[in-house]
Amino acid sequence: MPAAALMAYLAIALKVFKDDKVAYVFDTTSQMSSSIAGQLKTRLDNIVKLTQPILVDLAQYQDFSRLSRAFLQFDSSLQSMAIMVWDDTTGGYKVGPVLEKEAYGFEKFWTQWKDQWNPSLVQLFMNQTVVTNPFLDDRFTLVQKIERPNGRPLLVVLLFQLSDFSQQFQTLSAQNFFLIQKDGKILLGPETYLGQNLKDSLPVRFLDLNRQAGGSGVETITDKKDVNRLVSYASVGWGDLYVVSTVTEANALGAVEILKRKSLLFLIVLISATTILSLFASSSITHALTKLFEATGEISKGHFDVKVEVESSDEVGALAENFNKMAAEVSRLVVQTAEKARMQGELETARMVQETLFPPPRADFGSLEIAGFYEPASEVGGDWWSYTRIGDHVYLWIGDATGHGAGAALITSAAKSAAGLIETLGFSPANALQALNKSIYDVSRGKVMMTFFLGKLNIKTYEMVYCNASHEAPFLFKSKDGPYKKKDIEFLDQNNNPRLGQGRDSEYTETTLQLSEGDLLFFYTDGVPDIRNPKNEAWGEREFIKGLLTSLNTSPSSHEALSHFCESFQVYRQGTTLADDLTFFIVKNKEDKNREVSSNEQVSM
Amino acid sequence: MSKFQCKVDRQGQKLTLQLGGIIDEDADFAPLALQGAQEVQIDLDAIKSINSCGIREWIKWIGANSTAKVVYAKCPKVIVDQMNMVDGFLPAFAKVESFYVPYYHEDSGSEKNILFRYGVEFKEGQIQPPTEVKDESGNPMEMDIIESKYFKFIKAKV
Repeated sequence: MPAAALMAYLAIALKVFKDDKVAYVFDTTSQMSSSIAGQLKTRLDNIVKLTQPILVDLAQYQDFSRLSRAFLQFDSSLQSMAIMVWDDTTGGYKVGPVLEKEAYGFEKFWTQWKDQWNPSLVQLFMNQTVVTNPFLDDRFTLVQKIERPNGRPLLVVLLFQLSDFSQQFQTLSAQNFFLIQKDGKILLGPETYLGQNLKDSLPVRFLDLNRQAGGSGVETITDKKDVNRLVSYASVGWGDLYVVSTVTEANALGAVEILKRKSLLFLIVLISATTILSLFASSSITHALTKLFEATGEISKGHFDVKVEVESSDEVGALAENFNKMAAEVSRLVVQTAEKARMQGELETARMVQETLFPPPRADFGSLEIAGFYEPASEVGGDWWSYTRIGDHVYLWIGDATGHGAGAALITSAAKSAAGLIETLGFSPANALQALNKSIYDVSRGKVMMTFFLGKLNIKTYEMVYCNASHEAPFLFKSKDGPYKKKDIEFLDQNNNPRLGQGRDSEYTETTLQLSEGDLLFFYTDGVPDIRNPKNEAWGEREFIKGLLTSLNTSPSSHEALSHFCESFQVYRQGTTLADDLTFFIVKNKEDKNREVSSNEQVSM
Repeated sequence: MSKFQCKVDRQGQKLTLQLGGIIDEDADFAPLALQGAQEVQIDLDAIKSINSCGIREWIKWIGANSTAKVVYAKCPKVIVDQMNMVDGFLPAFAKVESFYVPYYHEDSGSEKNILFRYGVEFKEGQIQPPTEVKDESGNPMEMDIIESKYFKFIKAKV
């Protein structure tokens, strides 16, 4: 493609150069033809002017005087001057008075020339002036017609020699000059052409008979030998003489041919060099790309530690460098992904382990009905709730660790372990949380804290002792006829204590509450009002309370109320990720006043 | 999310703090040392939310105070909720100068926060809410809180 483009450019450039060269040659040869024609005209003008006083002298004395002979000496080229007069006896012109530098010179000339006289005479009467070299050498004749009022015109014949002038026509070279007549006869020129008709060898158009003589011009012709020639011509201005210059196009455009050859040579060298360099460069690039290709193959096999050697600072080198970075990054990401997968697996294990920390979501202890719900914001959470029956008491736990995620989950695990032990010791809620506080503080060193609420409910007397460690106060709905309203909510907030883990020696107080048959308790963490919808708008306390009241008022059992409540916030949530862990449970003392509490409590999963 | 911001104005022994944004584990209370001030006013008007980690940081910060008389002003609901729930959030040496009470109109859904000021709408153990709060359409609004829970820190029954 580049070679073709270069060739096209070369062809156009050569064409332009050739046209320019042709124009230059035309211009040059035309100037030379005009110059030579001008020189000849000047010579002839001078010769003719020299004869004017001689003719005046002749008219006065009817013969050439000594003054005329003196004038003749002024011009070296003028040899003779003869007056041809009409001879009625012969019916033709005869030689009259003669003025000459050499005795009998004209007579000798006339003896040879008189046979060509008549044709010259015909031309004379047509053209007024005839200039010719009858013997195709440097001797020229100029015949002028002088009209006379009486009788036939006189003919003035000038015989002169143009040796120096004729020499410049004789040289046969690349550019030839010819002095020709209108009929094409070559008067001066290279020796081989003398006497021939120019039209026989060069079909020039300016000599066409129907064209007016005179002027100058150029033309391109193809000669009989199928050689293209550039021809320029210029009229001498005397008689029907023309100076013609011809040069073969091959000679004229020799420089173009040289340029063409050199250009072709240069083009070949250039293309060759370019091809060699391209092969070298492509080989280098191919080698680098092959290495890259092999490296990608290694990566596809899972060998991410592959590295390509960077051998250049060009784009391919940059590509190799970027490949190495990419491979390193992929390798790092693979390790990271593996690590993440491992951590994910561990979190999944932690989630499963944490699930064991929670009790079954539903339980019945005699008339006591419990239903709970828990959902962590991530794999594991910081909320915890539980219930345990120890003898006639049911311990009700709910807690929320600072933050959520793995750190919070660990502390809840520790809390659960400690709580399990504390329950068996029969501690009151205040003492239980005080002990738990020490345990959490020792584990977390004040970095993680937990809000907690612990209620210890006697399922025979319905007396409940509770201790709140800065947790959301549970709701108490006293048994009543008719639906619950917001104003019916009582809060288990008669004591409030520091969060667990806040200070090792914190002291905790507790409150005793007497529940009645039909009373209902609702425990929750702050994740409930913080449930978000897709617009990241929190559910809020108002809607939370409203949803809870609706659920309680429309559901006969705590299990159904919990399900209804779950539906209400799931509608709001629309699958949005939780902002915080979500925990709540309902404890209801069923209105079965006469029911005996047995040891056959049911716990459902 | 707007980060925790604080503007401090110290004039002699009176320190005025204007807090805003979110109080969470990233909230830095270190530059807000209360030492040396005898009177500290904390303007909480621009607080957007506070999480459990933020509560921990708050209690550590405010609990470090030993001498200054601290006043909470323009407490939004998120702060009042913590004052009621978390022991130590409103320590004994701190008083509430003013706090917001949310009101709403059930049918129109309009909401408004009314600033309750000490000595006007409340004082120790007593609440004197405005006799009537109306929205821009003239609808009577009711408190958007559970009063027994929300005013607990005043230790009063309305």
